[in-house]
Amino acid sequence: MALRYLLRTVSWQELRHHPWRHAAALVAVMLGVALAFSVHLINASALGEFSQATRTASGQADLELRPSFSTLDENLYPLVAGSTAVEAASPVLEMTTQALVGDRTVALRLLGIDALRVGQVTPALVPRAHEGAPRLAWFAPATVFLNSSAAQQMGSATLQVQAGDRRIEVQVAGTVAAGGPPLAVMDLGAAQDLFGRLGEISRIDIRLAPGHDRESALRLWQTQAGWPDKILVAQAQETASRISQLSRAYRVNLTVLALVALFTGAFLVFSVLWLGVAKRAGQLALLGVLGLSASQRLRWVLCESLFLGAVGSAAGLALGTALAALGLELLGGDLGGGYFPGTQPSLQWSTLAALAYGALGVLAAAVGGWWPARAAAALPPAQTLKGLGLSTGGPGRLLPSLLLLLAGGLLALLPPVHGVALGAYLAVALLLIGGITALPGLVAWAHPLARRILGHWPLALLAVERAGRVRETAAISVSGVVAALSLAAALTIMVSSFRMSVNQWLDSVLPADLYLRSSQSLAAADTVYFEPALVAQLRAAPGVDRVEALRVTTLTLQTGRPAISLIARELKEPRRSLPLLDEPQTVPPGAVAVYVSEAMVDLYGARPGQRLKALEGVLGRGSEPAAGFLVAGIWRDYARQFGAIVIDEADYQRLTGDRRVNDLAIWLAAGADEKKVQAELRSRVRAHNGSQTVAGLEMASSTQIRAISMQVFDRSFAVTYWLQAVAIGIGLFGVAASFSAQVLARRKEFGLLAHLGLTRQQILGIVAGEGLAWTAAGALAGLLLGLAVAVVLVHVINPQSFRWTMDLYLPVLRLAALGGAVIVAGTLTAWLAGRSAASRQAVMAVKEDW
Amino acid sequence: MSAAPGPWVVQVQDLAKRYGASPVFESVNLQVGAGQFVAVVGDSGVGKSTLLNCMAGLDTWDAGQVQLCGHSLQTARDDERALLRRQYVGFVFQAFHVLPHLDVRQNVALPLMLLKRDDPRRVQAMLEAVGLQGLESRLPQQLSGGQLQRVAIARALVHRPSVLLADEPTGNLDPRTAGLVMQALIDQTRCEGSALVLVTHSEQAASRADRVLRLSANGLEPA
Repeated sequence: MALRYLLRTVSWQELRHHPWRHAAALVAVMLGVALAFSVHLINASALGEFSQATRTASGQADLELRPSFSTLDENLYPLVAGSTAVEAASPVLEMTTQALVGDRTVALRLLGIDALRVGQVTPALVPRAHEGAPRLAWFAPATVFLNSSAAQQMGSATLQVQAGDRRIEVQVAGTVAAGGPPLAVMDLGAAQDLFGRLGEISRIDIRLAPGHDRESALRLWQTQAGWPDKILVAQAQETASRISQLSRAYRVNLTVLALVALFTGAFLVFSVLWLGVAKRAGQLALLGVLGLSASQRLRWVLCESLFLGAVGSAAGLALGTALAALGLELLGGDLGGGYFPGTQPSLQWSTLAALAYGALGVLAAAVGGWWPARAAAALPPAQTLKGLGLSTGGPGRLLPSLLLLLAGGLLALLPPVHGVALGAYLAVALLLIGGITALPGLVAWAHPLARRILGHWPLALLAVERAGRVRETAAISVSGVVAALSLAAALTIMVSSFRMSVNQWLDSVLPADLYLRSSQSLAAADTVYFEPALVAQLRAAPGVDRVEALRVTTLTLQTGRPAISLIARELKEPRRSLPLLDEPQTVPPGAVAVYVSEAMVDLYGARPGQRLKALEGVLGRGSEPAAGFLVAGIWRDYARQFGAIVIDEADYQRLTGDRRVNDLAIWLAAGADEKKVQAELRSRVRAHNGSQTVAGLEMASSTQIRAISMQVFDRSFAVTYWLQAVAIGIGLFGVAASFSAQVLARRKEFGLLAHLGLTRQQILGIVAGEGLAWTAAGALAGLLLGLAVAVVLVHVINPQSFRWTMDLYLPVLRLAALGGAVIVAGTLTAWLAGRSAASRQAVMAVKEDW
Repeated sequence: MSAAPGPWVVQVQDLAKRYGASPVFESVNLQVGAGQFVAVVGDSGVGKSTLLNCMAGLDTWDAGQVQLCGHSLQTARDDERALLRRQYVGFVFQAFHVLPHLDVRQNVALPLMLLKRDDPRRVQAMLEAVGLQGLESRLPQQLSGGQLQRVAIARALVHRPSVLLADEPTGNLDPRTAGLVMQALIDQTRCEGSALVLVTHSEQAASRADRVLRLSANGLEPA
C-alpha cells in the first residue's frame, strides 16, 4: 500500500521532472530487446520458410539417398525401388543453374523427376501442365514446370538456362506446387539428356514400407550386390537441421551483439536509478525515520527499475516486430549472412518468444536496479539526514574478482557446445564482471601509496582520500567507462586483427592479375562451368601469359552436416599458392596430397601427416590411391566456414575424370593492357557460347576483388563501429549521471570548501581532477580488459564459431586514441557535472542547517 | 584587492539585502575590532545567517559596503573573496560540517594546508585544546555530535583567523559541551585577538559577549 503510494507520488514526480534521463534508459532497454527479438523473428521466419519448402519438396519421403560426391548411378534406383523395405521411391537429378532474365542471371534449382513416380513420394513436385499444353508435355524434352517464385521472376513461355558454358532454351509448360526459392521441374530423362548427365541421378526420395526404419532398410540394402560403399542416407528432417547449422554461429553472434545492447540498457537503468537514489537520499532517510523499512526501500527502487524494464521491453517487442517485418521485406529473410538466398518469408510471430525476450528486458532492468535498490536499503537514516550517509567502503576484497577472472580464463578453454562458443561468451561476461568488480579492491590496494605521494597537496589529498573511502561509489561511476571501453577495445582489436589477416590471406589467394568465374553460386558449379575447349581458347588469347584453372565442387562427408568445398587446382608449389599455416608434409609414394582448411580439423578431425579417411571411397571410386589421401597441410580459408579441401588438379582428374573448370586465374603478359585483354576474353566467351551476352560470367582484376572484398568486410563490420560509439556514449552517460549524483550528494562538502576559502576554479578542479583520475584509471582498466576479451574473441570465439583462426594485431594508435578520447570526454563530463558544484546555490548548501 | 588597513577587522556600512521584492534587512551597520566578541540575536528568518554570509563574501547584497580586514568585498572578485576567507576567516556552523572522507587530523589540518603552512604541532595542539587527543585517526562517522563540533572548532581556529564567524555553534550540543565550545571561541578572541561574531538564540552564550545586537528588518540595534 505504502509502496504503491510512493510509486504514484514520489517516483512519478521524479519521472516527470527528468523525462529525458528516464527516456534514455527506456530507449536502451527497448533497443536491446528490439534487436534481440528481431534477430530471432527474422531467423525463425527464414528457417520456418526453408523448413516448409523442404517439407513440401520432400513431401512424404522418410529418407533420401545421396552420394557423398558427384552423382549416383541410375541403376541404383531399381535396387532401391524393388526392396521390400520401400513402399515408394522417386529418382531425382538435382542441379542448380542460371536462368537469363533480361540482362541478368537468376539462380534456378532444376529437378529432373520421374513424373510417374514423383506423386507417390513428393506430390508437391508433380507437374501441372498449362491449359492447352501438349498432352505429353510432362515427358517432353527441354520442357520445364516452374514453382510460383520462379514463375514470378521468369514467367515467360520460354527460358534461357545455362548448361556448361552454353545457353539453352527451354519451354515453360506449367507449374509445380513446391514453395521456396525459384525451382523448375522437368522429366528426368530429358534433364539427363539436356545437361549431358546420362545415367546420373542426384538422389532417391523414399517412402518406407510399414515396419521399417532407416537402420533396418539400410541393413537390407547393404546385403544387395552392387550397393555402393559411401552413400548417405538422410532423414528428411536432417535437411532443416543442416540449414539451421549453416546460420547458427552467425545468428548467435548477432544475438550476442543484441545482448550487449541489453547490457548497456541495464547499465543506463543503473545510472538513472543511482542518480535518483543519490538525489532522494534525504527523502529516503526521512521516510526511513518515519518507518519505511530497508526492505521497503529496496522494493521501492526495484519496482522503479521493473517499471522501466517493462515499458522498455514492451516498446522493444513492438519495435523488434516492426524491424523484423522491415528486415524480411528488405532483405528477404537473409540476415546479411547469405544463408537464405532467394526466400521471401512471411513474419512468424511467436508469443512465447516475445514473452521470453520481454522477460529478458525486464530482468536486465532489474539487474541494473539492484545496486541502487541495495544502496537505498542500506542508507543509515540518521547519518544521512546529518549529511554523513555515505559508505565508508568495504575491505575492497580482490579475491572474488580474481576468482571470476580465473573462471573466465578457464571457461575460455572449453570446447564449443553444438557449434556455439558458449564457454567463451560466458568467459567474456566473467572477465568483464571480474574486471569491473576488481576496481574497488585495486583502489584499496593503491590508496596508501597514493596518499604517501599526493598527501601534501590539499586538493590532491581530498581526491585521494575520497577515492579511498568511497571507492565502491567511485568505481561504480567509472564502471560504465570500463565496460564500454573494454567492449570497444575488444571489437577494435578483433576487427583490426581480422582485417589484417584477411588482407594477408587475399595476398596469398589472389596471385594472378585477372579472375574469371563461371557462376556466382557454388551450387551451380556442376551445371555452369567452362569446358576445356573454351579454356584453351582463353589461354591462347593475346596478352595472356599464363592461366590456372580451378574446379570447385561440393562433397558431403556426413549427413546432417553442410557440404564442404572440393577445389582442384594446379599445386606445384603449395607453400606459395596456399595460405598454409605450417610447412607442408612430405607425401609418401602411393598417397595423394590434400590440403585442408582449418574447419576440416574441427569438423572432421583432419590432422597434418595423417590420412583423411573421410575421403576414402568417396573420391575416385575404383581408382583410389593405394596409400589413401594424406593431409599435407592446413590452410587458412576465410571464404568457406564449413570446410574445404584442395587437391592437385592432375590427381583430381585422374581420380574422377572430371575436366570441368569453374574459375580461371589469368596472368597477363608483360605490357598487356588489362582492359583490352578483358574485352578479348569476353568476346571469346560470347563467340564460344553463341550468345550476345556474358551475363552470369564474373570477370574482375585482383585489385577489384581485393577492393570489393575489403568493402564487404568493412560493411559487415560497420555495425561494430556504431556499437562502439553507442557503448562509449552510454558509458559517458553513466559517468555523467554518476558524477551528477555525486555532486548532488556532495553539495554540502563543496559548500564547506567554499567557506574554507577554496575558489570556484579549485572546486571545479577537484571534481574535474577526480573525473580525470577515475576515467584514466577506468580507461586503463578498460583497455586491459578489452585486450583480454579480444584474445578470447580472436583465439576462441572466432575459431569456435566460424572455424578459422587469425593473428592478433594490436592497433596501438587507435587504442591510444580511443582511450585518450574517453579520458578527455570523461573529464569534460565530470567538469560539466561539477559546474553546479561550484555554483552559489551549492555554496549555500551548508546554510540548509543554519 | 584593495587593502586599506583600519581599526576594524569587520566593517559593515548601510548593508541592505532583498530576496526579489521582499527586503530581508536594511541599513545594517556593524564594526568589530580585533579581540572583540559581538553576539547577534534576532527572530528566526530575520537574516542573521545571511548577514554572516555577506560578511564572508559568500552572498551578495543590494546596497552598502562590507570590509574584511581592510579589504572591500564589494569590489573583490569571487576568487579574491575566497582567498580572503581562506586567510582571515574561521567558520563554525550549527550542523558541525566536516569533510566526511578526511579523518579528524586531516580535517583540522586542512586550512593550514590550503595556506601552504603545514604545521603538525599546531594541529596537535588544537586537537588537545579541544580534547580530541587519541581520536586523530577517526573518521567523522565514528564521532558523536559534540566531538564533531570540536573538530569544526579546531579547524576554524587552527590557522589563527582574524575573524571568527559562528552561527549557532552550540545549538545542537548539550550544556557541558556547549560550554566547552564557547570557551574555546572566547579564548581565541581574548588570547589570539580574533574578532568573533556569534549568531545565537542562546541567552547564556550572548551574555558573554562584549556587545549584543538584535537584527531586525531595519538593521542592528543594541539588545
